[in-house]
Amino acid sequence: MSTDFDVCIIGSGAGGAPVAYSLAKAGHSVVVLEKGPWFREGDFFKDELACCRRSVYTPRLPDEQHVIEERDDAGGWRATPTSESGWDFWNGNMVGGSSNLMSGFFHRLKPVDFRQLSEFGPIAGANRVDWPIAYEDLEPYYDKVEKLVGVSGRVSPHKNAEPRSSADFPYPPTLEHIASTWIDDACRELGYHSLRVPRAILSQPALGRRSCEYSGYCGSFGCASGAKGSARAALLEPALATGRCEIRPHAKVSRLLSDAAGSVTAAEYFDRQGNTRQVDAKLYVVACQAVETSRLLLCSTGPAFPKGLANNQGQVGRHLLFSAGGTGSGELDYAAHSAEQAAQLRLMGPFVNRALDDWYVIEDPQFAPGRRKGGIVEFLFAHPNPTGRANKLKWDGEGELLWGLPLKRKLESRFRSGRNLTFEVFCDWLPTDDCFVSLDPGVKDRWGTPVARIRIGHHPHDLEVGRYLATKGEQVLKRLGATGVKSGISGSPPPNLMAGGCRFGTDPRTSVLDPDCRAHEVDNLYVTDGSFMPTGGSLPYTWTIYANAFRVADRLLARLGKIPATSVAGAT
Amino acid sequence: MKRLGSSAHPPSLADWHRALVSRRAFLLTLAGGSLAALFGAPTLGDDRPTGDEERRWRVLDVVQRHLLPSEADSPGAAEINALGYLRFVVQDPLVDADERRFLLKGVDWLEGLVQENGGGSFLDLDEPGREQILRRIAASASGENWLSTLILFLLEALLSDPAYGGNPNGLGWRWLEHIPGFPRPTPDKTYPRLLA
Repeated sequence: MSTDFDVCIIGSGAGGAPVAYSLAKAGHSVVVLEKGPWFREGDFFKDELACCRRSVYTPRLPDEQHVIEERDDAGGWRATPTSESGWDFWNGNMVGGSSNLMSGFFHRLKPVDFRQLSEFGPIAGANRVDWPIAYEDLEPYYDKVEKLVGVSGRVSPHKNAEPRSSADFPYPPTLEHIASTWIDDACRELGYHSLRVPRAILSQPALGRRSCEYSGYCGSFGCASGAKGSARAALLEPALATGRCEIRPHAKVSRLLSDAAGSVTAAEYFDRQGNTRQVDAKLYVVACQAVETSRLLLCSTGPAFPKGLANNQGQVGRHLLFSAGGTGSGELDYAAHSAEQAAQLRLMGPFVNRALDDWYVIEDPQFAPGRRKGGIVEFLFAHPNPTGRANKLKWDGEGELLWGLPLKRKLESRFRSGRNLTFEVFCDWLPTDDCFVSLDPGVKDRWGTPVARIRIGHHPHDLEVGRYLATKGEQVLKRLGATGVKSGISGSPPPNLMAGGCRFGTDPRTSVLDPDCRAHEVDNLYVTDGSFMPTGGSLPYTWTIYANAFRVADRLLARLGKIPATSVAGAT
Repeated sequence: MKRLGSSAHPPSLADWHRALVSRRAFLLTLAGGSLAALFGAPTLGDDRPTGDEERRWRVLDVVQRHLLPSEADSPGAAEINALGYLRFVVQDPLVDADERRFLLKGVDWLEGLVQENGGGSFLDLDEPGREQILRRIAASASGENWLSTLILFLLEALLSDPAYGGNPNGLGWRWLEHIPGFPRPTPDKTYPRLLA
């Protein structure tokens, strides 16, 4: 039995931090192994080069990459290393993970998401299942996230509102942009019901953190004020304050060691200098984000697991999920508005905070008979990064490169004339046999470990739903006067919205984890990132990952026993 | 280098493939391709450097000024310190090493193409001559890639934070009426120092 720590957590993001927080607060010793560096709030700036144009928060692809398998023209699969393609599948390798960089628009799953097979039936070519838990099981933890991570919003009656145990959000909504009211008006005129979206961003000082400072640069950037509810700011800092949580940055876990009885005995990792080290614990929690969690388990062969840890049934890596959908946009021209409105439109900082979930379940015979699972349309302004915007303008309508005075005139025209209002469509990425994680047979990372090979096949139904929702988004933009309205739905996966790979379920033959997210085959191994999700839901996943990790943390606490509060300074 | 795109959904697979093919072609050229492969010229086939280091930078300076010319009421490459910024880029280990080599190597190939077509240097050409040779380069996938990369770094010099050496005093931001975020990086908190 271990003597190092009660719990060893691999990965410090939204899946790992709630466990660290809960266990350390309850008096247990916790070590968090994080591959990336440890940036503090004083290290975060609105710096486009650092956030979005260089691999500062993610690994350099020649050092660490993925191999992407996508369908070729002959019906087979073509594998391309991302160091060749430049298609980066990393999201945020640092203490707190990619939650540092999220936009923070937060959605709960809805009750139907927990029983998609029962509600909507099977789809040929997809492996729909019901979850082994219900919305009611997760609701108290969604509520907990609102309070501990800090979610700002206001509850208003709504057709598809999820049941909730608290009357309202703990913090009022963040400041909102004038365009939010325009969206509300357009939706009302169309007979749609715009929804005020809560954000995991503090609208007032609380929880030892500052309020949002409304710089207008949020998603993709680290938060300098601490208002964003990143796993680092909201949960790891308080966990550290207990004195019982140790975070080791630059600790790249290469494998979990296990014994002949099938228990994990140690986590083996490389430190910053490249030295091999080990740490052991009573319980191990893996939360490296979906792809890397599956990869770590597959790399961790042992005497009882010749095909990888917890993988004797060959389920690890299967049913990887992304978020299906696409984007749309339209231009809000300053010239089409009064001087006062144009000034309001130019304002950076306040959030749009609007979405439509009227078609979360589609009951439209023109689309399909019966009830179909739909999704949401989320409205937001185009990312303000100027270099990224400008770089797209260097091509003319014929695909020819522009330079000289024509390029300058185009830059002036596009930057000065208005703002680009966009929408993002989120719908289910149906689980299929064509989307999974395996180990690449040839490509290794800089430590000599096989990299993840990711097959990214999508189900055609995803595109049909996406297109249906995109037409609704386009209608709203046109109604509020946007010009050049367009949208695009694709089967190309967004790497920042991934889940699955280690399904939870009751049958060990078809799932990796039990309903408590403990590995069926490994008594002291839990997975608490988005890997557990057997179906995705039509929403960004972060709130659900946070909530489920708190739920699993309670199971760990029940197993380890809570340390009496009288003997634990700082426990609450 | 990271791909752009913070939105939930990336470009379509078709877009990605187009970029991929182009990038592969350009890497292939680096691995041993010739001028003919790179810029569509008939022959030459010599990838050896043809000029000294400072001459290369003089050519780059002139190419940048052609691609983003100065005007009375708007900045060009000279005003945004594009050449100084490019010197930072070619020393930046976070920029793909092949890309950095390609930037410099492209100058040699450009000069070779000028020599092939009447002799001299790009520096000696008049404005229409420069435009003509750059348009000819842009007609090949890899030549277009070289110019596209140069324009990308021009735009970075124009619109990235002044802490990195371009966009002095926010000149580029003011021209395009762009409002930067805050807090902004100070020179001691630029990313090379953050990662040190």
